[in-house]
Amino acid sequence: MRAILLLLLAVAVQARTVLVVTADAPDFVLAAGGAIAAMAAAGDRVVLVRVTNDDKDSWNLSPEETASRVKGEVERAAKLLGIAQVHSLGYRAGELGGVSPTEIRDRILFYVRLLKPDAMLIPNPYAEYVEVLDRHYTGMAAEEARRIAALANHQPPFAEAGLSTHVVKELFYYAQPFDPRRREAESTATFAPQPKVVDIGSTFDRKLLAAQALQTINYSMAMRIRKRLDDTARRLPLLDVVNEDSVRKLVEINVRKLGEIAARESAYKLAEEFFYSGPDFQVPAKLR
Amino acid sequence: MKAALLLCTTLTFAQQLPLATIPPGKTMMVIQPHHDDHTTDYGMGGLIARFTGAGYQSWFIRSSNDEKDGAHGYPHNDMYNLRESEAATKILGMKGVYSLNWRNDYMDAIPLLELRAQIILLIRKHRPDAVLGHDPWGHYDRNPDHRKVARAMAEAVWMAGLANVHPEHLELGLQPHRVPHLFLKARVDYGRGHRPNVAVELNEDQVRRKQKAYVAHRNVYASPGMARSIRAQLQAEGLAVPEFAGKTDDEAAVLIEEWYMDWISRKRGSENGVKYAEVYWQRREFDYLPGLTDYLNANVVNR
Ligand SMILES: [Zn+2]
Repeated sequence: MRAILLLLLAVAVQARTVLVVTADAPDFVLAAGGAIAAMAAAGDRVVLVRVTNDDKDSWNLSPEETASRVKGEVERAAKLLGIAQVHSLGYRAGELGGVSPTEIRDRILFYVRLLKPDAMLIPNPYAEYVEVLDRHYTGMAAEEARRIAALANHQPPFAEAGLSTHVVKELFYYAQPFDPRRREAESTATFAPQPKVVDIGSTFDRKLLAAQALQTINYSMAMRIRKRLDDTARRLPLLDVVNEDSVRKLVEINVRKLGEIAARESAYKLAEEFFYSGPDFQVPAKLR
Repeated sequence: MKAALLLCTTLTFAQQLPLATIPPGKTMMVIQPHHDDHTTDYGMGGLIARFTGAGYQSWFIRSSNDEKDGAHGYPHNDMYNLRESEAATKILGMKGVYSLNWRNDYMDAIPLLELRAQIILLIRKHRPDAVLGHDPWGHYDRNPDHRKVARAMAEAVWMAGLANVHPEHLELGLQPHRVPHLFLKARVDYGRGHRPNVAVELNEDQVRRKQKAYVAHRNVYASPGMARSIRAQLQAEGLAVPEFAGKTDDEAAVLIEEWYMDWISRKRGSENGVKYAEVYWQRREFDYLPGLTDYLNANVVNR
């Protein structure tokens, strides 16, 4: 009995709150789903803030229908990863370039002060996205939100409402491997976030299920590949028939390969890549 | 020493870029801010000449009004630059110029989504197989218009393919169209923000057209004053360039600019194991799916 109590106490002491910020439905799953599932499995309370409503990327569905379906699917994917709560901010997908960066920042800031996370996972704003720049805008806003959450002069009304300042100790920047130079270390190991590869061998299956739960976007991805191939007189045998099975298989190939790409030059088989800044990065090594 | 030499050689070879091929297709679009952006030293006159030579129909979207560029004052610069841009476009074998007419060097402040909507409409109308533009991640460019248009172009090539983006365009009979191939340029000598992944080999004819297209922008390049000052400096040092003999300052200026374009094309060529080249960051049709590109390359077959 005593041992169990001690164990519970230990878990309670170690359990952290983790805030995941994502621009769109697939990005946090594909780039960080394995690490998120591992944190949740270790007892961390993980909360997701989803900035856009994903209303654009579908096949033959209206924006309204798309947004409504994807919301349900993201919530299912989040649950599969062990995420406790999902907050959707509802900005229209692909239009963050027309929204004030400060406004997005302060929406995220609210959740940082409310939840007081020990760690944040945010899109890497510097990951050289060519198409989906919502990830860049969201990453910029989240990076700023993390910083100003600690500064009392930002959003004083939040303090009036009981939301006090907060320092987030750990920050993970995630991105799918678009940037060819993402493995290059930043210049100063002390103060700048550094590359970090995380083993996802034990949570890969959950990550895959979460990715497969995003059915609307997955179907759209498969149909877009199919259309491009049809238009250019080519075919992919897997997509000769686009149905639930072939789409699930396509997603599996994608998620597995992303895991292998991230695991390159590491001791792991399947991994995710981050840029990471933890408590150690706040103080130069020789002064620690 | 031998080891060091070997290392140097290896490094030199390691830096050579693979040679790009022109992707199969019919239509190409150059989307840039300024009248001369399709013909500068760091691209893309040679590549455009290769596309048009391969039978591509191509259009130049020039987003700004170029009022600041040149010595004729605001309204006159607009006109000179547009005319010269049209002339350069013809030399390269392009079909024409769309002028969006945003205020030159003030594009940072314009609504991104409005500019993007214009580009999406033109992409849906012409359905380009390839788009050429600035790299949205190029560092140290210093030009607000380059950044703005690069970003709008990058979003547009993807979003033009989504039916839920500007569904009103479908009322015109236009269909969604995702642009499969991109060739992005940046001032490659300016830092690490842009890393070209392909070299485009050019032949003599393509380099000559590139030279002529560049020099067509007489409002901003090849000024007789530049040639005059170079000649004066040479004379003061007791030197002369034989090719200038009997030439006016105007003609000498054209010659200097043509040499410059020849030199930069040879330089990029020698860096990449060919006589003439330009370098780009090429984005291929499935690069937006980094986890699927290998699988698609290995398993897609012709019908
Ligand atoms: Zn320019």
